[in-house]
Amino acid sequence: MECDRAAGMLSPLVDSALGPFTRWRVRRHVAGCTDCADKLEELRAMQSAIRTKLTFHRAPPGLAARIGAALPREAAPAPSRPWFRMPAFSFGSTGLAGALAGVVLTLLVVGGQPQSDLLQDVIGSHIRSLQADHLTDVLTSDQHTVKPWLSARLDVSPAVKELKDQGFPLVGGREDYVDGHPAAVVVYRHDKHVINLFAWASPGRPEEAFRDESRQGFNIVTWRRGGITYYAVSDVEADQLADFAKLVAEGT
Amino acid sequence: MGRGYRSEDALPQDDRRRRFELLALPHLDAAYNLARWLAGNTTDAEDVVQDAYLRAYRYFDAFQGGNFRVWLLTIVRNAFMTWVKENRSGRMVFVPDTPLAESADTEEAAWGSKPRDPEALLMDSIDSQTLSRLMEKLPSDYREVLLLREVEDLSYKEIADVTGTPMGTVMSRLSRARLALRKLWLEHAELENADGM
Repeated sequence: MECDRAAGMLSPLVDSALGPFTRWRVRRHVAGCTDCADKLEELRAMQSAIRTKLTFHRAPPGLAARIGAALPREAAPAPSRPWFRMPAFSFGSTGLAGALAGVVLTLLVVGGQPQSDLLQDVIGSHIRSLQADHLTDVLTSDQHTVKPWLSARLDVSPAVKELKDQGFPLVGGREDYVDGHPAAVVVYRHDKHVINLFAWASPGRPEEAFRDESRQGFNIVTWRRGGITYYAVSDVEADQLADFAKLVAEGT
Repeated sequence: MGRGYRSEDALPQDDRRRRFELLALPHLDAAYNLARWLAGNTTDAEDVVQDAYLRAYRYFDAFQGGNFRVWLLTIVRNAFMTWVKENRSGRMVFVPDTPLAESADTEEAAWGSKPRDPEALLMDSIDSQTLSRLMEKLPSDYREVLLLREVEDLSYKEIADVTGTPMGTVMSRLSRARLALRKLWLEHAELENADGM
């Protein structure tokens, strides 16, 4: 491979977007070419600079409430026109407080009677953990800290594993409530996605094999082993979540 | 399981709004950040995001599963394009491609010449404010792919979906965007050096 062709492949190389063969060829070229190796290093430095230093603009407070106020109260009818030809919406600033309450309440009422079910509960808890800066109570990647922390607070000692090498670094643990009962939550990450692994004691209940479910854009894998029920919830791809579940369950 | 799952169909109609909020609100920061970088100021960004959320709610039933964030960001981008048409007509916001890319005959040439000070190349030392200012100077289609790739961590396929461009274009645009940012950074670094002397 010549420099000219390689130079155009450095950017996708940095993004891990090349097929294995092209990747191998570009890497081989870079290994023997200081010029291209320098370029590659530059691109990597730039990528890391953007990822770590670029200003991230958080939504201003109140925007969620304003959107809540602007959403139609009733279930929207099926649109009769494509949205890109919709007339401009107008936003009133009416009922701000009510809207706020609406947004917050609808978020918190998840699991309330009578529409609750277990799955809804677990998803609601997953979403809240992402929103409210309440992802973990104990923040550590050390499994030997997380497990005793959870066992000390809950009547359950769930599997806690360091799966960093497999692409699922442990983030920490949290105490949460599901279906009216306390549950241990072990938190992992996969790339930028959060995986919440809920666990609670189910003494005397039969073992259950893995079961996939998908709801509201989230994937869920559930299983029961050793008297503990597990729910893994995330927006990672279903395949990856299934792999994750297998890794966690292995040897328990 | 003792408690059965209920299918999506069985959810009551009035759950629609709650489901939407549960799914869409966690991505509000991502939506706003993209809109803010595209629109360039807070007021317009808020309008774009609000419009996008209303559209998303209206077309919520069309969401077929998959990655909701990608679906939502697509709508944010479309809302921005509409907003541009309605509010900035006559003002060129999206520059199709920069002369930098078109004047370069080869990939090699697109990189341009090396600076005198090789240390100036590495962006390790750039501060957050300067980087953000340089990003603002980029043509918006460059800024857009960089944001979707580096901040939202989307794959080429996902960026292609959001921007409605072929994957090959995403690949070359990202490559060009990086070179354009590099060029701005080099210019900035040389100015700084000149000032320092």
